[in-house]
Amino acid sequence: MSRLHDLNFFVKLGGAFALMIVAWLAPDWRWDIPFAALVLALLWVTRVPKLGGYLKGAGLLTLMVIVSWMINLLLQGIAPLDALAIAAKMAARLVATTALFYFVMETSTPGAILAACSAARLPAVATLVLSLLFGIIPMLRDEFERIADAQRARGMEIDDVSFLKKLRFALARGVPLLVQAIRTAHAISFSLTLYGFDLSRKRTTWRDVGLMVEPRMTWKDPIR
Amino acid sequence: MLLSADKLTLGFGTSEPLLRDATLALAPGERLLVCGTTGSGKTTLMMALAGVVPQITPIARYEGTVALNGEDVATLHRDALFSRVGYVAQSAEDQLWDLSVEDIIAFPLENRATPRDEVRARVRYLMEDLGLIELAGRRVLTLSGGERRMVVLAAALASRPELLVLDEPTTGLDPAARERLCRALEQAAEHVSGVVIAEQDPAHLASVTQSLALIADGTLSAVTPLAPALDDAARWTRAGLLPPRKPSGLRPAVTPGRELLSVRGLRTRLARASGKPVLDGLDLTLRAGEVLGVIGRNGAGKTTLMKSVLGLMPVAAGEIVLDGQAAQGWTTARRARHIAYVPQSMRQILFHMTAAEEVAFARSMGEGHEDTETVLARYGLGGQGETNPFALSARQQGQLGLACAEASGAAIAIVDEPLLARDLAGRALLETFLERMTSQGRAVMLISHDLELVDDVATRLALVGEGHIPYDGPVGEGWQSRAFAALCWPAPYRTARESAA
Repeated sequence: MSRLHDLNFFVKLGGAFALMIVAWLAPDWRWDIPFAALVLALLWVTRVPKLGGYLKGAGLLTLMVIVSWMINLLLQGIAPLDALAIAAKMAARLVATTALFYFVMETSTPGAILAACSAARLPAVATLVLSLLFGIIPMLRDEFERIADAQRARGMEIDDVSFLKKLRFALARGVPLLVQAIRTAHAISFSLTLYGFDLSRKRTTWRDVGLMVEPRMTWKDPIR
Repeated sequence: MLLSADKLTLGFGTSEPLLRDATLALAPGERLLVCGTTGSGKTTLMMALAGVVPQITPIARYEGTVALNGEDVATLHRDALFSRVGYVAQSAEDQLWDLSVEDIIAFPLENRATPRDEVRARVRYLMEDLGLIELAGRRVLTLSGGERRMVVLAAALASRPELLVLDEPTTGLDPAARERLCRALEQAAEHVSGVVIAEQDPAHLASVTQSLALIADGTLSAVTPLAPALDDAARWTRAGLLPPRKPSGLRPAVTPGRELLSVRGLRTRLARASGKPVLDGLDLTLRAGEVLGVIGRNGAGKTTLMKSVLGLMPVAAGEIVLDGQAAQGWTTARRARHIAYVPQSMRQILFHMTAAEEVAFARSMGEGHEDTETVLARYGLGGQGETNPFALSARQQGQLGLACAEASGAAIAIVDEPLLARDLAGRALLETFLERMTSQGRAVMLISHDLELVDDVATRLALVGEGHIPYDGPVGEGWQSRAFAALCWPAPYRTARESAA
């Protein structure tokens, strides 16, 4: 956990929004592509966890955006080079946007988000939505990896095989992942009810929240 | 009365209810233990006593009343009810999501707008009392099963409830953690008026409970004093439970065969906060015909050892030999053809649409030849071949795990905390599995905190601690060893053995 994890969630979210607006206001691909590259470099420099997985997804996204926009624009009679420039601009903007929010998601735990929202005295419903929105994806991704480990532990060779086999085995993870997603939703709903979460009541937090959010309890001054 | 149940009938829509006309009364200050086999209705009863049924989880048949200080729990406002009742579910995972340890403990207080200083004071108090300080800042989903349970217990105690309802709270806890749990329950008496605990093994909680009710055949017995009941073996057997404090005396004597697994000088890349590897210079062997009981404190490295052997965790140094072949370079999948893994929660490793497909898959990965239905029937799953594995109960999933491990034909099975072994029927299934494995020249590594189970069925004992194996040898001598004494745990069946002596 770096200091970035302790930075207040709203500071990170605000920063991500501001940079996203910069990306979308840039005039053309000559600005957008370097900006997207800069954002990716920022992720690398700050050692955002599991960046490799994100880059694979971003690569796929770039390819799909360029191909779909090229087809669309060419069908509209736009010159190929002009179409490519527009497609590249759109892809770069999307990469910058997703990278910025990936950064926020990966460096903010649900507990830190809950604390920041509670300290800001946000309504309970907003607190819950933000915590789940940014917390559930990493949780399910970790679960996906745990299931992959379980497949390996039962003898499935899922690494040293062809792409098609890899894809088939990844699909086999869908069943337990779905079950786990339902269980997670149930656990969240159950614990919210059992532990008195009330949409009409503003929460408090045990953490010290300012520009930074206290990551853990310390015992420098024991109470007993 | 603090808590009363009057003619409580609970069922899930089948013709016969799970529990009929259950009646009990708990006076302030009383601590009641409810025992019964897996599937006897303990969990449903605990949920009803806590008001979880019907307030959060409605069920098809709910008749009679449960009253807390004379007020019907079914009609009390939820928030008012759950600020007065602390509840720990059988599966702690049902109460957890991806928060830190402090977040989970503070959650009920924060939600009820308790001032920050008071929240902090109570969280710190509970973490100190329950020995959770070392877990500060950890995300609960990265903790072991036993650690998660202690965190959920702390959350249940945080709002200082009048009534505490605990469903199998000692599951996955090592003996030291069980003692901390008992101590916490004693200290909680300042605030908590009454406690109801469901367990299969009463011995662990005998020091903090005074009365007992048994569930058998859908009926809750009358409440009786616990202490004399502990020595009434026939009563426990009639309820389908293993009599407490009674060694089975069946520990098999074996002559180990050829070496199936050898681990030499194992050092993991995974290190503790101090920088010391979790396992460092660990040596271990497993021979045909053996049931190796592996014990150690929560967090001692038992899971790391199992994962390193399976190839799920990177190893910095050392040698792993499977069936005479160096296996360090093998993929996990290749190792898994020699080692069948049965985790505590089978849900993690099921991914087919039917139980039969799970068994067939296990067989296809190894050298098993036996017919699927025969294997399923052996482990009490006859006729369940077409059932979706996720529709099976946790107990049945454990049985499916044993069936898959046997069907795979793998030379070694690693069985991690087999919870089904805590009643007579489940113990019989586990013993069937162990007997078949060992008689076929295969071996089992049994990782457990249930020292009585290890004492009953293991042929050899290995103690994991300080990054290596400080004791490896005969089971009986293990309980007398210096390494075991260093744990400060009571030896299994100590009371019975002292009485006999």
